[in-house]
Amino acid sequence: MGRRRRRRVDPADAARALPEAIAVLTRTLPTGPSPETFRRAKFDRPEAAPALWRLLFCVLSPMPADGASPSLALEAQARSVKAALRFQGYPRRALAQLPDDGSQGGRELLLALAWLLARGPTLEQLLAQSRVRLGDEMPVCECESLASPGPAVPSVEADGCVDTRHLQWLMGKLRFRWRKLMASQQEQCALLGKIHSYTRGCHSDRSLGHLSVTETELLRDPEGGQQLLQRLERENVRLEAALEWRRRELVFWQWMDTVLGACPPEASQPTFLPEIPAQGAAELELVVRELQALQEELQAAVEPRRAAWEARVGGHGPEWSASRRALQEAVRQDLVALQWAWERGGGLTQPHEPHRLVRTEAGAPEGRGLQATEVIEVLRSREACLEVVLGQLQGQCRQELARLVGTLPGLIWIPPPGR
Amino acid sequence: MSIVTVQLGQCGNQIGFEVFDALFSDSHCPQKFCSKRENEAYQASCKERFFSEEEDGVPVARAVLVDMEPKVINQTLSKAAHSGRWKYGQHSHLCQKQGSGNNWAYGYSVHGPRHEESIMNLIQKEVEKCDSLSGFFIVMSMAGGTGSGLGAFLTQNLQDQYSNSLKMNQIIWPYGTGEVIVQNYNSILTLSHLYRSSDALLVHENDAVHKICAKLMNIKQISFRDINQVLAHQLGSVFQPTYSGEGSFHYRRNPLVDLMEDLVPHPEFKMLGVRNIPQMSENSLAYSTFTWAGLLKHLRQMLISNAKMEEGIDWQVRPPLSGLPTLGKMPLSKELHFNTSIANLVILRGKDVHSADLGAFKDPALYTSWLEPVTAFNVWKTQRAFSKYEKSAALVSNSQSLVKPLDMIVGKAWNMFASKAYLHQYTKFGIEEEDFLDGFALLEQVIASYSNL
Repeated sequence: MGRRRRRRVDPADAARALPEAIAVLTRTLPTGPSPETFRRAKFDRPEAAPALWRLLFCVLSPMPADGASPSLALEAQARSVKAALRFQGYPRRALAQLPDDGSQGGRELLLALAWLLARGPTLEQLLAQSRVRLGDEMPVCECESLASPGPAVPSVEADGCVDTRHLQWLMGKLRFRWRKLMASQQEQCALLGKIHSYTRGCHSDRSLGHLSVTETELLRDPEGGQQLLQRLERENVRLEAALEWRRRELVFWQWMDTVLGACPPEASQPTFLPEIPAQGAAELELVVRELQALQEELQAAVEPRRAAWEARVGGHGPEWSASRRALQEAVRQDLVALQWAWERGGGLTQPHEPHRLVRTEAGAPEGRGLQATEVIEVLRSREACLEVVLGQLQGQCRQELARLVGTLPGLIWIPPPGR
Repeated sequence: MSIVTVQLGQCGNQIGFEVFDALFSDSHCPQKFCSKRENEAYQASCKERFFSEEEDGVPVARAVLVDMEPKVINQTLSKAAHSGRWKYGQHSHLCQKQGSGNNWAYGYSVHGPRHEESIMNLIQKEVEKCDSLSGFFIVMSMAGGTGSGLGAFLTQNLQDQYSNSLKMNQIIWPYGTGEVIVQNYNSILTLSHLYRSSDALLVHENDAVHKICAKLMNIKQISFRDINQVLAHQLGSVFQPTYSGEGSFHYRRNPLVDLMEDLVPHPEFKMLGVRNIPQMSENSLAYSTFTWAGLLKHLRQMLISNAKMEEGIDWQVRPPLSGLPTLGKMPLSKELHFNTSIANLVILRGKDVHSADLGAFKDPALYTSWLEPVTAFNVWKTQRAFSKYEKSAALVSNSQSLVKPLDMIVGKAWNMFASKAYLHQYTKFGIEEEDFLDGFALLEQVIASYSNL
């Protein structure tokens, strides 16, 4: 590396190196605009903006790139990109202030892309997402889907009051969808089971023993083999490009420095603050000072209070200290239970990525993989935890409802039938 | 995805047979307007949903037959076997020697617990034959003894044991001029129990179907068989395969849940009715042609004027002027003529189905104020014609149309209850006054909810 850097660089080579590096990068990404688009974006040319919004949308969208999502209107994509970046903590305000129509923002988008690339294993994640899957995979946990915000949902502003019946309707719809999902999951499991048992002994890999859906499909439909081959070749190209990118990325980052240089500097602002109209700033200053004064006053008041309390409590005799001990014991037990649940929940030493589903004969020696029973047990205990939380939340809601009903004398509360 | 049908009592078994026969005949009906491949996909979809296959290749209905008297079950089994086209499973029925004597309490409290285990076993065996289970059709009468009492009991059991599967009860609403003196008691007990345990009640009114037989089918001496065939036609036109979405040519995987999601998500509004157009005898069909515009215009007016058939529609009924708040916008007497919907599902089958314009069903004035037409109205389509109809439309709606008959039944039952007539026949088997009162309260609430849309 060092030797290469010391070598005298032919200026023509250097001029070519950047477009080549960018070309390699775009080959790695799900939809790649041309190096020329990147160049135009540096100069904030509007024609570069739509392609970059789309690119960022693909990079940030949690769904596979070939899904239906890219068919979203540019405006929806732009909104989604902004929301996703904000969710990930992207600090530049200039991006959030860009218009939603996707007509502007070449340079800001370039910076955002670079931020994503520099920050973490974005490329690796993208490659993993679009990987060709030959086996039947299943996730062993939900952390990934919980971590991503999902596509932006158009928020519905309720003007005026909402009819409760509408909410009940939506709730019922959700319940039916939930049942539909369960039914189709069950169907999928049943069919997978059939394929696995019918193809037992067909796989050349003895440790697997049976075929997966993709493999079975290949046998049924040789045409599909061509398509699979093409997908594998495409993936190969992307993987090669990713390797190549690692070798060439330095020149890209040097260029990005110049892009950043071309940007108007932005006061470093760790989080977004609501915009305050100019005439409000002076008032705010006042409020801040008042708040600070109040806080100091409070602290001064708290100290003697606390001391007085402790003195009083100390004088309450054995009854008081007994109940105090009982409380401490209860807290300790809760803590132990929590810790236990945590350790069991996180106790799987295996990584959280999806696993290939393989059916083994009963009594066969345990392989290196995860046992289904283990996963099920972990999921069960997780379910139990979630149910406890749900129960608590429902209890809170009921209390709140009861409180609200209490404020309206003469109102009777009748739960709907069938629930 | 498959649906398991539970046929209960005399009525449920006779209708169940006609339904399977209609489904089978339709899926093997010669087709002019769709490709061979599409027709095959349609047949496969219908078969997966309602039939399983045994080694001899004859389709076996995914059904469990239950009655407390042997006569009807034996007839049903042999009719199916003699059709030579499809049959019932060899060990999928249960019958006993003694009926319920039109006593709901007997069906619910005596037959139910006594035969619970064997019936649930039969159902489980049927469920195990499905690769995937979407849910249950429970076909039963509302006013009798075995179908209604045992049906309410079993629906509750299904709710406990298969809580994630869907339960749709096909209930036969008795003639207004009763067959049985206690039919109103039986009806309120059935309805109030099903309202707690079922996901949707698809109601078929004997009076309405009878009129269809007389006026549209031109049948002189109407038998139960005629009525059941019309009913089977209506059900088939709803549950035979349709495309999964606009522009898609794949058939819907799980129509039962889709229908419920479209029509009955609200726990207080579970009553559905079906309307069909056109309906006529096969002879007249040969001399008739239809346009989508004409069919849909009639169907819409049938909906808003609460007519069950295309003949004798009141064309004077118009939707209330939109823009006014829906609640209390008119005196009740005026509003009664207009049938407000919560949600509607139109199912179109046949030639040029993609050209059908459904704009008139998307008028917000047709619906309650708390649902937009985009949510409240849905349409399913397929290019494949249903039965011998080149074009046909079915409308499943969750609307006010059942409020009046329900109110009548509750009123009559209440009058009898107030004078404690026949109550001992129920208390004798453990159905107490308290149970009646619960039923009245629930149904009054349902009537109030539907009336205040």
